[in-house]
Parts: sequence; C-alpha cells; structure tokens
Amino acid sequence: MTRCPVCLVQMNDTIARLSDHFYALQLKNNADHIMWLNRYIGKQRFGQDELELKFEKFFRTASLKEWIISNFVRKFYGDPPHMFILEMQHPKEYVLKGYAMEHHHFLKQWVRSCASIISNTDMEDVQAFEIENIVSEWYGAGDSRPSHHELLLRMGESLGVSRDAIYKSEPLPATKRAVEAWSMMSRDFTFVEGMAAMHSLELVASRNIRKYGATMGYFDPVILEDGSITEEAANFLGEGYNADVAHSETALDLIEKYSKEMRNTQDCQAVFLKSIEVFDDYLNARLERGMMLEDKQQ
Amino acid sequence: MKTNNSEGCALCNATWGEYWREIDGENMPFCCNICADIFQEMVRRVKENTGWDKIDYINLEGNYSKGRNCTATNGDRKYSYYFRTYSDGKFITFEER
Ligand SMILES: [Zn+2]
Ligand SMILES: [Zn+2]
Repeated sequence: MTRCPVCLVQMNDTIARLSDHFYALQLKNNADHIMWLNRYIGKQRFGQDELELKFEKFFRTASLKEWIISNFVRKFYGDPPHMFILEMQHPKEYVLKGYAMEHHHFLKQWVRSCASIISNTDMEDVQAFEIENIVSEWYGAGDSRPSHHELLLRMGESLGVSRDAIYKSEPLPATKRAVEAWSMMSRDFTFVEGMAAMHSLELVASRNIRKYGATMGYFDPVILEDGSITEEAANFLGEGYNADVAHSETALDLIEKYSKEMRNTQDCQAVFLKSIEVFDDYLNARLERGMMLEDKQQ
Repeated sequence: MKTNNSEGCALCNATWGEYWREIDGENMPFCCNICADIFQEMVRRVKENTGWDKIDYINLEGNYSKGRNCTATNGDRKYSYYFRTYSDGKFITFEER
C-alpha cells in the first residue's frame, strides 16, 4: 500500500502512482500538495517521469528508523533550525510561558494517542511501552516522581501562568489542527502508523540529536544550572534531558520492527511526514502563545 | 509590481502550479492560493505601514520556515521588513527591520 503524506489517502499501488497523484494535483494548483513538493522534493518543476524518480529516491530506505531520524533532523535542526528551537537555546520567559500553555493541550492528546495505539494492537511490547509512556507523561509515579505534565504546570506557575488559566485555555488554531491530526492518525490507522506519527516527535528533545547531525541541542544545557530560568522550568526541561538516552529510541525500534512485519513502511513514512508538518505549526503556536501572554501582562 | 522571483511564484519562486491573482490591478503568478494569500496580506501591511499608494518592486529573501526578509520600493523610497507565517498563510510575525 502507499499513502499520500498530504491528504493521507491510501492507494493500493506503487510510489509511481503516488508521484502521479502529486503531478495531477499540482496541475490543479492544489496548495497543500504543491507546498509539500516545494518543501520536500524541490521548487523546480520537473516532468512526470523525473518526478517519479525523485519520489522513488525520497522514500527508498533500508531502515525506517534512520530515515525518520534524518528527515526529522533535516526539518527541525537543519540550516537554520526551527525558530522555536533557536528561541529555546537561551529562552526568554515568553517562550516558556507559551510552551507551558500550548503543551498542556499537546500532552492531553498525547496520552489519548498512546491509549489509541494500545487499543489498536495485540503486541504486548508495544502496549507495555505505551503504558509506561502514559505514566511518565501524564500520571506520574507518586510524589517523588511527578509526571511530565505536572512538571509543565509547575513551570507555568513559576512564570505566573496559573494551572487554572492553562486548564481554561483553548488551544490556538495551529495546536488544535495538530491535535486533531494526531488524534485521527493514532485512532484510525494501524498501531504502527500511530506510533510513527507520535513517537517520532520525541526526537525533538533527544539528547542524541547532535549525533544525528543537528548543529545544536533542544536547548543549551547550561540553562539548567546558570539560574537564567526558574527552578521549575529547569526541572521540566531537565527531566527530558536526563532521561535514559537508549529508552528514547525504543519507539523507533518498535516502529521499524512492526512496519517490516506488516509491510507498511511507506504508510509509516507518510504519516510521519504529515505529523512533522503539523508539529512545525504547533511549535510556532508555542511562540505565538508566548507573545500573546507577554502582551497581556504588559 | 515586480519581485525578484522572476521564474515562478511571486512569493516563493516555485515553478509548480500556476495560480493567478490580481494584486493592485496587476495579474500576478503564484504557485498556489496560499502563496497568493500571503503575498496579498503582505502588500496590504506594507501599504498600511508606509502610507504608500503603490509598490514598484519587492525583494524577498528567505523561506517559509526561517521567514522572509524583504525590501519594498516605491520610486526612490524603500521599506524593509521581515515576516513569517503558519503553513496556512496566517501571519505569526510582521515587523519593520
Ligand atoms: Zn494527496
Ligand atoms: Zn509559492
């Protein structure tokens, strides 16, 4: 099977037909498919045969895990990295405020997606992985190990954004669109596609990211100790930073293993590509929210 | 109005797609309606900020992810600015530079 990374339609056919699908839609000036060609294949128009070769090359891979990592790094840590990541190096308060509010909506969906993946599979290694994820992201393990979500709320509070304000907030439109896309992809597609959509995003904060070619990390680790951010913010960011590095790639190994078994590597590539596009906008929403919160307080 | 993107889309220079829209009485080429929307809103903001009644030329450098640094020209007057949008064309930032 082949899936379109833009409209997610599944075609019972080859990469060549996917390329034809894009070719036909650019002739009709379809904005979403044209933007995708511009971003991932190139801005210069080719003929239909050449486009087919470019598509074959773009999707060809021996390892889905490595393909996901390299495409993720290129998109978010390329030259230059995403604006949110640039702002995170030595974050001003507005960045962390926006992060606190929008990420609440992200995490709320995150655990639902984990649950959808559990309900879509019989594989116990996958279920165990997702259960563990739900506990660490949302539920926590007693007072000594608060969840990632709880640490996020504490970061917000330390910057003057109350948990009440966070709970009462509506996600910004870009966050809402992203959340809806993740909800659909994890619920309606195979569990391995759901995992490719969600867990690939954890790469953003991976400590290994520089090993994969990024020119900087998610933030400059010096901020965890130099007093430039609140202690609560340092606790929130430090938790991810100090997490077991090997663990962060467990999901990618599971995705690679099951996509091989289920022979749906290209479908996983497509949902991953869709997911990083909405994630791109979502990261911008964190910045926009931060600017909004800053304006309100002045 | 002309831009430095002479090969294709007036905003991004892509040669995929072919979408025309009238901007300030002139028919201009774009790759898609989102680029046209962004361009139209950009022109509106430039005119609003400068008070100009026309723009002769716009030089655009950058891309969708890092944003675009631009200089608009009207006769011998120049206005430099930076902007960035979401993928649906909604503006995140527009500022004089
Ligand atoms: Zn499509
Ligand atoms: Zn364009």
